[in-house]
Amino acid sequence: MRDGKPPAERIPILKMGEFLLVTIQVEMHDRLVMGLQDELTQQIVQHRARGVLIDISALEIVDSFIGRALGNIAKMARVLDAETVVVGMQPAVAITLVELGLNLEGVRTALNAEKGMALMRRGFDAR
Amino acid sequence: MIGVLDSSRTQMVMEALLQRIVETGSGLAIIDITGVPTVDTLVAQHLLKTVAAARLMGAECIISGIRPQIAQTIVHLGVDLGSVATKATLADALILALGRIGATVTRSAPRA
Amino acid sequence: MPAVREETMDVRSDEDVMRVRQVTRQWAIDLGFSLIDQTKIVTAASELARNALIYGGGGITRFEALHEGARRGLRLTFEDKGPGIADVAQAMRDGFTSGSGLGLGLGGARRLSNEFDIVSAPGQGTTVRIARWK
Repeated sequence: MRDGKPPAERIPILKMGEFLLVTIQVEMHDRLVMGLQDELTQQIVQHRARGVLIDISALEIVDSFIGRALGNIAKMARVLDAETVVVGMQPAVAITLVELGLNLEGVRTALNAEKGMALMRRGFDAR
Repeated sequence: MIGVLDSSRTQMVMEALLQRIVETGSGLAIIDITGVPTVDTLVAQHLLKTVAAARLMGAECIISGIRPQIAQTIVHLGVDLGSVATKATLADALILALGRIGATVTRSAPRA
Repeated sequence: MPAVREETMDVRSDEDVMRVRQVTRQWAIDLGFSLIDQTKIVTAASELARNALIYGGGGITRFEALHEGARRGLRLTFEDKGPGIADVAQAMRDGFTSGSGLGLGLGGARRLSNEFDIVSAPGQGTTVRIARWK
């Protein structure tokens, strides 16, 4: 513990067969986001994961930092021969991202975890 | 959608659409504007932003019911529909939508 | 026009940027903003608070409730005593597509707000103000 404050929480990463599942349930500060990026990359290699599903249905704010982090995760995953799907984006978040002008190119999205898993299992054929 | 669309009404309808997409888990939504007489730049922009937002969420939209006047307005205003699919009639949009999800439509009765 | 309520907080760490989001959210809720308008101003606040921290070396955020007749609004001011920006117009454009640097944050915050202004010069720090009206 530093300064008497509780340690920053890690975001848990679950392994499900060839896929890694991340459910973001807390408001994240920037260091936590970076930590997640690092840890995901490590685990993709460690478990030879083919896909990463990131559930952001509890995330009420996605700003350019988080948006970029998601894009980076997708890029790094692809280099490691894994695909990324981001699921559960809230409508208010989507509308704000459009207004913000952030390009989430390279990040596949699906409405929910079920559809995201189906997408990954289909091997990401072109829609 | 039916009736005159002003900017704020369009915004409300579009937000409701995105919410419905989440609730029903529909990967594809058809926005039919057959009953809309005119579209100004603001409304057109709202439509496009909504389609972009739906896409970000993981759903696709088809805009149908575009009357010749609206098509002219869209071109005249220089609005770029980009890769948004549009169809003149709702029927055509449904055929497109069903095609995308792997179903086919056959006609069982002569066209009226 | 007179601002009625006011609050100021430090932005010196990642946790502070997160707190700015939380405090902005509460102000927006208290002022009766719709969910989408809340999301827009909280996202804009996040961008600008982060800028103040990373590019400004830390700073402060000021919250003010605005009243103009029956209209209610929220104004946020982000102030730092950092190096300042030499070419503001360029900074607003820079990085918008490459996704790095100030551009995405500044331009994004402007697009998400009803009002936006920025004062900055080399050696004179940076002050950015945004406002959203209900």
